[in-house]
Amino acid sequence: MNCDKFREQIPECLAGQLDAAAREKLIAHVDTCAGCRSDLAEMGAVWRGLRSLPVVEPDAGMRSRFLEVLEAYQAGMAETPAAPQRSGRFAFGWWPARAVRQAAFSLALVAAGALGAHILTRPPAPSPELAQLQAQVENLRQMVALSMLQDQSPSSRIRGVGYSAQVARPDREMEQALLYTLNHDANVNVRLSATDALEKLASNPEIRRALVDALPLQDSPLVEIALMDILVENNDQAAIPAMRKLAQDVQADESARQRALAGIQKLEVSK
Amino acid sequence: MEDEQIMLEVRAGDVSKLETLFERYHRALFQFFLHLTAQRAMSEDLVQEVFFRILKYRHTYQPAASFRSWMYQVARNVHHDHAGRHAAEVALGEDIVELRGPEAPPDRQAQSRQEAVLLRRALAAMPRDKREVLVMSRFLDLKYEEIATVLKCEVGTVKVRVYRALRDLSDRFFALSGERAS
Repeated sequence: MNCDKFREQIPECLAGQLDAAAREKLIAHVDTCAGCRSDLAEMGAVWRGLRSLPVVEPDAGMRSRFLEVLEAYQAGMAETPAAPQRSGRFAFGWWPARAVRQAAFSLALVAAGALGAHILTRPPAPSPELAQLQAQVENLRQMVALSMLQDQSPSSRIRGVGYSAQVARPDREMEQALLYTLNHDANVNVRLSATDALEKLASNPEIRRALVDALPLQDSPLVEIALMDILVENNDQAAIPAMRKLAQDVQADESARQRALAGIQKLEVSK
Repeated sequence: MEDEQIMLEVRAGDVSKLETLFERYHRALFQFFLHLTAQRAMSEDLVQEVFFRILKYRHTYQPAASFRSWMYQVARNVHHDHAGRHAAEVALGEDIVELRGPEAPPDRQAQSRQEAVLLRRALAAMPRDKREVLVMSRFLDLKYEEIATVLKCEVGTVKVRVYRALRDLSDRFFALSGERAS
């Protein structure tokens, strides 16, 4: 065995993963080879130095943020946004972390309570007062969602996107906020969540046009595929040129290109 | 319960079980990202991303696969996506070079601190792929077979990559410290 082969075994030996026979051979070689001995000494010092670097513990709040995301995800799976089943410590998973949002959220809850009281105590016939309260709840929900979308933390922004999905009729500002998130958020998971939220609005031709425009702006194949899924599902023929461009882009991810090709075929068949 | 069994239950829809896997692995994932990015807050966010992606793509988990290897594949993708949007260089986060060694004499503490700073600097200056394989081998204690699964390459390739990475780090460290090991 030459020196190169012995040297390649040094990290394995330092990590204790080299079997006894190979270790003995390495030691015997190092004993007679000054170059490999020097390598072992230097790499051994650095290997030990790496282990002595201080261990930094994650912030204790990381766990609670994870549980919030998990709870939000479970609520989304249950698809019962008005009264999701919650228990134990998850009971307040949707409670915003910051005071300003807590205030807005409280207002939303109070208005929702008033609305609930109206629904329970009044006949179902629509009234201007009821419509006003419904609009108030919608506005407050949007305000909370928009505020969460501007948060520094990706997990908070994901919750903001999820909360926006509870707004029955998002206004133009909410739609624009979701589209801005889709095109500009630094975190791919937030962008994916925004894509999911926009899927619910894809019956609107303007939203679909914005999704087509968003396709060339993406650099994550996950988001590209999610966008193409929506456009194909909605049989949006206007998406074909953008998808064709993606399919022909040799720099693009292979799975995204394959999805584009399959999507184009499906759209052309249904013309 | 084994990781794989828990992940199968998550895949089947019992997503609350993911909390157990979070408890087992969030610290290791945090160390992984911290060594790659040197940014504490960013590393915490990336850990959250990993678990969110596991939730979202849980149906892609294959029962025969080791959960740990699959999770680190997801983590690599998360880091790759993050790195694609940020500079490849790693800033030297001062918060992660703090040394806690009250039992050591003051002069030894100063020396250890200086060595830790240089080692961090050398690690941060390495190319991303070398830093990654070294972190997996040294800080995550992954066996070469596991690293090969994560990187989707042969075990022999891992051996060569770890050697080259450690050799590179040693050269950078001793160049910074101005001395060679005797």
